[in-house]
Amino acid sequence: MSNLPVQEPPAAPPSETGVPKPGLTTALLQFPRNLWDSIFRHPLPDSDLGAAQTSFSNFFLHIHPVKVHRNTLRPLYTLGLGVMSFVTFVVLTITGILLMFYYVPSTTQAYDRMLDLRGSVAFGTFLRNLHRWSAHAMVAIVFLHMCRVFLTGSYKRPREFNWLIGCVLLLLTLFASFTGYLLPWDQLAFWAITVGTSIAAYAPLIGKKIQFLLLGDQAVGQEALLRFYVLHVVVLPALITLLVAIHFWRIRKDGGLSRPAEADLPAGGQPLRVEIVSGPAAGKRTFGLMGFVRGPFTKTGNVPDNSVYAWPNLLVAELFVFVVTVAALLVVSLLFNAPLEEPVNVLHPPNPAKAPWYFLGLQELVSYSAFWGGVGVPGIEVALLMLVPYIDRKVSGVGKWFAKERFLANTLFITFALLNVIFIIIGTFFRGPNWAMVSPF
Amino acid sequence: MKLALAIASAIILIIHGIVFYDQFFHQWERHQTAYFDQARTQARNDAERAELAGRSPKIEQIIVTQFGENRVDRCSTCHLAIDDPRFKDHFEPLKTHPYSAALGDVQRNGHWERRHKFNDFGCTVCHDGQGRGLEAAYAHGEDEHWNDPLTGYITQAAWRKDFQPHLKGKEYMEANCAQCHTEENFAGTPHVNRGRQLFFQTNCYGCHKIDGLSEGTLAPELTEAGHKFKIDYLWESIVEPRANLATSFMPKFNLNDEDVKSLVIFLKSRRGVNYAETSLARYRAKLSPAKAEITPEAALGLAAKTPSARAADLASQGKQLFEDRACAACHKLGDKDGGIAPDLSFEGSLKDEEWLREHFRTPRSRVPDSIMPAFRFSDADFAALTAYLESGHPPQNLPSDGAEIFKTLCSRCHGEKGDGLGKTAFYLDPAPRDLTKVAFMNSKPEERFLRSIKDGVPGTSMPAWGKVLSEAQTQTVLRYVKTAFVKEPQRALKEHTNVPAANPNPSSRDSIAQGERLFLQRCAGCHGLKADGKGPNSIDIVPRPRNLRNRWFVNNLSDHRALASILYGVQGTAMPSWIDYGFTMKDAGDLLNYIRSLNPAPRPADKQLASLTSGTH
Repeated sequence: MSNLPVQEPPAAPPSETGVPKPGLTTALLQFPRNLWDSIFRHPLPDSDLGAAQTSFSNFFLHIHPVKVHRNTLRPLYTLGLGVMSFVTFVVLTITGILLMFYYVPSTTQAYDRMLDLRGSVAFGTFLRNLHRWSAHAMVAIVFLHMCRVFLTGSYKRPREFNWLIGCVLLLLTLFASFTGYLLPWDQLAFWAITVGTSIAAYAPLIGKKIQFLLLGDQAVGQEALLRFYVLHVVVLPALITLLVAIHFWRIRKDGGLSRPAEADLPAGGQPLRVEIVSGPAAGKRTFGLMGFVRGPFTKTGNVPDNSVYAWPNLLVAELFVFVVTVAALLVVSLLFNAPLEEPVNVLHPPNPAKAPWYFLGLQELVSYSAFWGGVGVPGIEVALLMLVPYIDRKVSGVGKWFAKERFLANTLFITFALLNVIFIIIGTFFRGPNWAMVSPF
Repeated sequence: MKLALAIASAIILIIHGIVFYDQFFHQWERHQTAYFDQARTQARNDAERAELAGRSPKIEQIIVTQFGENRVDRCSTCHLAIDDPRFKDHFEPLKTHPYSAALGDVQRNGHWERRHKFNDFGCTVCHDGQGRGLEAAYAHGEDEHWNDPLTGYITQAAWRKDFQPHLKGKEYMEANCAQCHTEENFAGTPHVNRGRQLFFQTNCYGCHKIDGLSEGTLAPELTEAGHKFKIDYLWESIVEPRANLATSFMPKFNLNDEDVKSLVIFLKSRRGVNYAETSLARYRAKLSPAKAEITPEAALGLAAKTPSARAADLASQGKQLFEDRACAACHKLGDKDGGIAPDLSFEGSLKDEEWLREHFRTPRSRVPDSIMPAFRFSDADFAALTAYLESGHPPQNLPSDGAEIFKTLCSRCHGEKGDGLGKTAFYLDPAPRDLTKVAFMNSKPEERFLRSIKDGVPGTSMPAWGKVLSEAQTQTVLRYVKTAFVKEPQRALKEHTNVPAANPNPSSRDSIAQGERLFLQRCAGCHGLKADGKGPNSIDIVPRPRNLRNRWFVNNLSDHRALASILYGVQGTAMPSWIDYGFTMKDAGDLLNYIRSLNPAPRPADKQLASLTSGTH
């Protein structure tokens, strides 16, 4: 464990080796090189070790561990859904910031700004499409990511808290999408938010207060638009960014992605704990922080295991998911225009007035029972979801899709998820005027 | 993996290329380039050529601030030649906007000068469309989410195919002219004028309110109809009132296409805002709505009538009124028949003066579910109309043959086949009885039908025909109904001898409360929580459940008939025999007490008031 081959930092201060007093010309001549070296402390790596060091000292890359487990890289295990969620979030942030340059959260101007975006702003239509479809995609992908984590049993010890953060992130994603829904200030937006906030009002005791807090008024209007705007562009993105950071950090601290127990035990049956032993190097060498990290996976040295270097294996996989996700979003945004309906007409609700699609399951339930659909069922579902790692304490079946040991849990989860999806489909396609059953065909 | 990444990267590069291509090139740039090219060939001197050389494609816009909310009209980005007279023979979009003396344009020294300058008016003030749009489909309002497509030029794809040909034509733009040119007989807006006239002639004003024009309350307000609705919706609502709202009781007026078009254009001109008015003027108009500038008389071009009191011939004044107010748009009188409301040919003989006058003032005071609007005429007008109905129409010599009598008097409501589907049937509530329903017709005694014919059914549109028919004629017509429609021979009636003539259960607070409980449990599903006959199940039931708040009907109903109907049901209708569900005579009595408590007999004070008001003419 001790004979860790550490490469000397290549960018040694030049003052010790070069000319004692460099002249201005030399400084100028060396400027590009010096600037480059000051930014990138390592040259492009030509060995695994160099790659590890480069990523370790790079702000953007040091989020990766030096080595990752092979199981993490199996495309069919993760389906890349976590990275995909993050990519959509990044796309949303960038397009959102660009859209902010044109948008005014005012009831008299918002809709005109939408028309301007569509008509005369360069790339305006495309920006809006990209933002809109990415938002929908993010909701769907985050949900699928949760399904993946559940169905592989990855929420179990020691990842309970990360699951909790993930659940909060799902709720925040829904809320961010919901707040953005109002901003175009067209009929679709206005009535969807009217329906959505009315669902919130069904909560006992505090429902009306929550609705008022959201709207700043008795009905959707200028106050609501401003509140939704601030929530949408400042509060929620900041919260999501913070929680995503914690989410990522916890992945590493909890020992990387989940995997089956047998995957950790290579042929030699090596112990998994890192031990720092004394040896010839003891006392002479200082270990990087990396060396002291204890945990089920982070380790140093050439312990035979099922891990590979994160650079290039993980990096390439992530880049691939990134590129494919962005490509898909771009294509969808090219083909389909984001909807923009009539300007708001407070006196003329569309029939039926529908919430955004991800809340249509709730609206469908609300049509049966206001309390149970609006508060009871979703409340219980969210509570169960969040508590599940603290209820289901068995650690068997982790790291495998549809593990036999988790038959009951998986069946329950799939049932709930499918029910929600079915209600959303009914609400979206099978409900016509007066919320009557219609056939979409 | 690396290969996959490489391929994916190549693909995303290509997609980026497509995105840039898609977003960079605009149709309007091509139009502008074409304009510059053609203008250059037509340029006469170097100065013009130099001026053109300095121009490159850019978005043109006119910001209009004088007409309501600020407008941004970018139409001239494509329609670059609207003010360039050299392009008058070109094709759109590079065509000169026509000059027209009718629009006030004048020719000076061979040059036209516009009355409505584009820099002041923009384009959408007159043409509608979406000023901010730069793609033809959006700018012209072809998108179904845009309420005002280019008026008279663009019909949206979602509009009904059979209406689309009607909805094109320059005349639709008159609706926009009328935003400023509000004069009643402005020569430039003949369709708006005609529409306004029709609004009064077909009695739209009786039900619909338009600020400053009418005060109706029965139907949706139309003050902002032009702002809220597209012209296809307006057309459809006039031609097929029930197309959008299945429960609408708006009559189907049989107007010709030209009149419908005028009405649509008139309604489209009602936008609730009027550029020609200041907000102060609008506020003043609102403060004194009674003194509306345009009265129905004025709209019809009549001199305001002063009731020249008793000396004048009331009846002929009434006749004049009847014609001016277009009562025959709904009612029948003589050979004029609107096909919506009852025949008034015998009204003077069938109804007494008090009934007529009260019904005029508030139709629902006598027929609680009547759709007739309460016209705000003066008392003198009502008196004249009453006099006209009473005087002019003594009973004609009615035929003695049953079939003929039925055809003349009954078939307009009960239908020629006696199936209760006469042409006015849809507008009558309660609906005319289906005389072919054997189960009902054979379960009631002869006297009941005779009485209904002779005395009418209070609270409904069935009048007391006994006032114009002799006893023999009544018998004949009933016999005709029985033989022609019922067909089956009369069976022996079940006499409910145990049902007493009067309610054995005296009315008391407890009895009424118990009746209400029972009602809410057993009856409200069909008769409604408010007992108005409009419960949730009522929609599927024919004939409709009785409105038990119909004071005139309920107060005329004998205890015996009511109790028998509750306990033993009404054959041929959805009313079940409640005795089978465990009702006792006491339950029925409680229910009846509850129903009676909803329909108090008119208090003496009311009667006094009624006689007072009716005696004032």
